Amino acid sequence: MKFRSSMALRVAGFQPAIRRRDAFDTWACLLLCALLALVVPPCLAYGGPVRKKIAIQAGRIIPITGAEIKDGTILIDDGIVKAIGKQNDVTVPWDAFVIEAKDKVIMPGFVLAHTSDGLDTPNENLPEVPFLSTFDSIDPPSPFYEDSLRDGVVAMLVLPGNYTLLGGTGTVVTPHGRTVEDMLVKRYVGLKISLAPIQSTSRMGHMQRFRRYMDDLKEYREKYDQRKKDAEKDKKPFDEEFDPRKQSMVDLLDGKLKAFIYCAVAADVPKAIEIIETYKLQAVLVLSPDCYKAAPLIAEKKLPVILDPQLVVWHTNEEKNEEEMKVVPQIFNRAGVKFALQTDTSSYGRRYLWYQAATAVKHGMNRDEALKSITLYPAQFIGIDDRFGSIEKDKEANLIFLTGDPLDAQTWVDKVMRAGEIVYEKDKDERLKKLLEKPREKPEHENTD
Amino acid sequence: MRIHRVLLILLLISAVAASAAAQDQVVAIKAGKVLPVSGEPIDKGVILIKGGKIAGIGPNVTIPEGATVIDAASGVAMPGLVDARGVRPIRGELNEQSDEMTPAFHVSLAIDPKSKLLKHNLQSGVTTLYVSPGGENIISGLGAVLKPVGKTATEMIVKDDAALHITMGSDSTYGNDIPWNSPPTNFYYRRPGTTMAVAWMLRKSFFDAQKYAEAHKQPNPAMEVLVTALKGGIPIRMAARRAIDIRTAFRIADEYGLKIILDECTEGYKVPELIASKQTTVVLGPFYYYPHTFNQYSEGRECNWNNAGILAKAGVKVVLSCGADPDAADLLTVATFAVRHGMPADLAIKAITVTPAELLGVADRVGTLAEGKDADILILSGEPLASTSRVQRVLVNGRTVYQAEQ
Repeated sequence: MKFRSSMALRVAGFQPAIRRRDAFDTWACLLLCALLALVVPPCLAYGGPVRKKIAIQAGRIIPITGAEIKDGTILIDDGIVKAIGKQNDVTVPWDAFVIEAKDKVIMPGFVLAHTSDGLDTPNENLPEVPFLSTFDSIDPPSPFYEDSLRDGVVAMLVLPGNYTLLGGTGTVVTPHGRTVEDMLVKRYVGLKISLAPIQSTSRMGHMQRFRRYMDDLKEYREKYDQRKKDAEKDKKPFDEEFDPRKQSMVDLLDGKLKAFIYCAVAADVPKAIEIIETYKLQAVLVLSPDCYKAAPLIAEKKLPVILDPQLVVWHTNEEKNEEEMKVVPQIFNRAGVKFALQTDTSSYGRRYLWYQAATAVKHGMNRDEALKSITLYPAQFIGIDDRFGSIEKDKEANLIFLTGDPLDAQTWVDKVMRAGEIVYEKDKDERLKKLLEKPREKPEHENTD
Repeated sequence: MRIHRVLLILLLISAVAASAAAQDQVVAIKAGKVLPVSGEPIDKGVILIKGGKIAGIGPNVTIPEGATVIDAASGVAMPGLVDARGVRPIRGELNEQSDEMTPAFHVSLAIDPKSKLLKHNLQSGVTTLYVSPGGENIISGLGAVLKPVGKTATEMIVKDDAALHITMGSDSTYGNDIPWNSPPTNFYYRRPGTTMAVAWMLRKSFFDAQKYAEAHKQPNPAMEVLVTALKGGIPIRMAARRAIDIRTAFRIADEYGLKIILDECTEGYKVPELIASKQTTVVLGPFYYYPHTFNQYSEGRECNWNNAGILAKAGVKVVLSCGADPDAADLLTVATFAVRHGMPADLAIKAITVTPAELLGVADRVGTLAEGKDADILILSGEPLASTSRVQRVLVNGRTVYQAEQ
């Protein structure tokens, strides 16, 4: 016995000078090691990032891409969904960690296809800055991200604001993490183009500026290619760098980047279409509420759109002297346009994607379609539908646990899972508690109101 | 000429007769569910309307022959909503800038019957609203209760001079800063510039009113209003957001023995026991997630989403309103979210119907569905506090004034 213990110590890097009276200490040391070996790893796993195998047993699953499942099981391995189905149809491996969620509704986390919140200044004051990236401007401690996570958003495309002609490229992040690198889902996604005239320029001048930029770019690119070709012909080394400030626009023209074109009024929509067709762009339209008037045109061109957070607008019918309520998602839905919904914090309700979807359902939209417009469609528009937007085999486990039906106003997000890791729990949300509970009694001298 | 005049008179008579016929028309609403608010919900209920008033309500009301039947088998009927601090259908400026004390100003004289706001508001289900004067004077004037239908302000008004408005806090100091480097004789050099001055000026007005009541010199309309208020003849509504302003409001009210109603009350959650002990009704709103970013609450940085729930739990009578802000959420949404944040659902429904009606002194006409009450009825596609329920039809005085397109 003594021999073995000293061997073990030698292996562990201790000096082998063991005397008889130290044997007890050695044993104690070994025992401690063994204990630590048993106890520490599970502790680490508890507080640590990912449990490899997880089985969620849910009361109801809304996978978005398939029919709803009552009493279902989702099997996750290393952050990836491995199986989804009825409880009887899915075998839970013996070593899986089981999350009981019999009273919960599980659905894919919401996806926000367009936002400029959470940036310090969303609009650069120069009109042509396609080389900028929101990656440099995202402020992780911004309450916007914290709120988004609390409200069940698992991915969002942060794009420059609506008031810069060529605003820069976007970043897809998850609203969880201490740094942008932590939050990152995908970099260099989408380029923002705004058709809203800036400052004192006119719409004519704005469009002219855009066309001039494109002409200059074409000329520069042709000349560059020519120089490259000449160098190859002359067998000379060619080390001239392509202007990095123009690279994103070239990628846009080559179809490597999608254009997110903001239309401030309905009249901007035909111009956006002209741009898309002239330069053969892949594009998503970001619309102001007024653009409901252009719904038939957008439907004809089969363009994907992102609707403004304001979903109800008023139209004065001068003939009848009536105020007509125009429900934007209803109009686009009837026209057959695929859209994603947006949020803002300007009034009660609009801050939640589920509320926006409920507003669409309230005015006659199909429920499944409305749920897609806050999960799958935005994921498709921003090119992350291979990982987000639905619960499917081999997709990442980006899920939310809800206390009830997603469109019910009394439902709360109980947990958020990002790639198999629980990143939000309502029970532990101290800020939310502070917003809902009566403040604790403070001693008189501390009370400053 | 004569023939023309006769024709005109005939025309007039027939028009009057037609409108009288419309008034006498019998309407029956068959609803999947009726929420009278004053009593238990009725499944498959019928509401009978005669002459613009509710003539019968219940599960077994016989519908007379010839009655116009509104079939809402899948719908829910409830009383039209009452907004105790509604949008302001006023054209032009809301605040009188020449004086901080304008107690004898009547908001009813500024109402624009063609207001678009009023039409938008009606489509969200508001059938009675209280219009207050602007909030940037210390004593800003008298508000009016009205229904959003009618061609003239007189037709619309249910109750004029319904309450006297006072604004605590620093709102009335805005714009009173002296421009840089200008002498104190400048036009802008006016009181108040601080919350202290607001309290002082308010105190002084009631002090002057007391003196005026004792001395009674030549008639002074502003003083008459204040004297009536001092004697409890007109309700006093004080807008106060911060807890410190709420305390000041009560302090001054106690000095003069005034019974007050608190408006806005954003930090009421900090002093629920105080408000409950004064038996004061509070009119909450507008509601925002971050009030200070929307200039509604510029002096404060804290809010509690469950303000309504905390106050209600302490025993305070709570009214929910859109807070005179046309950009705020509509009343049903406000009530829905009050429940989400912790207010009991039955109280939330009352807080947008019967409680504000009682507060405004018009509960004998609106706020509940009962025999003899005005037929102001809302038909919804589902439960009132569901985010997917939609306003399908609005009736005011028994007449359909809005119907959603199918």
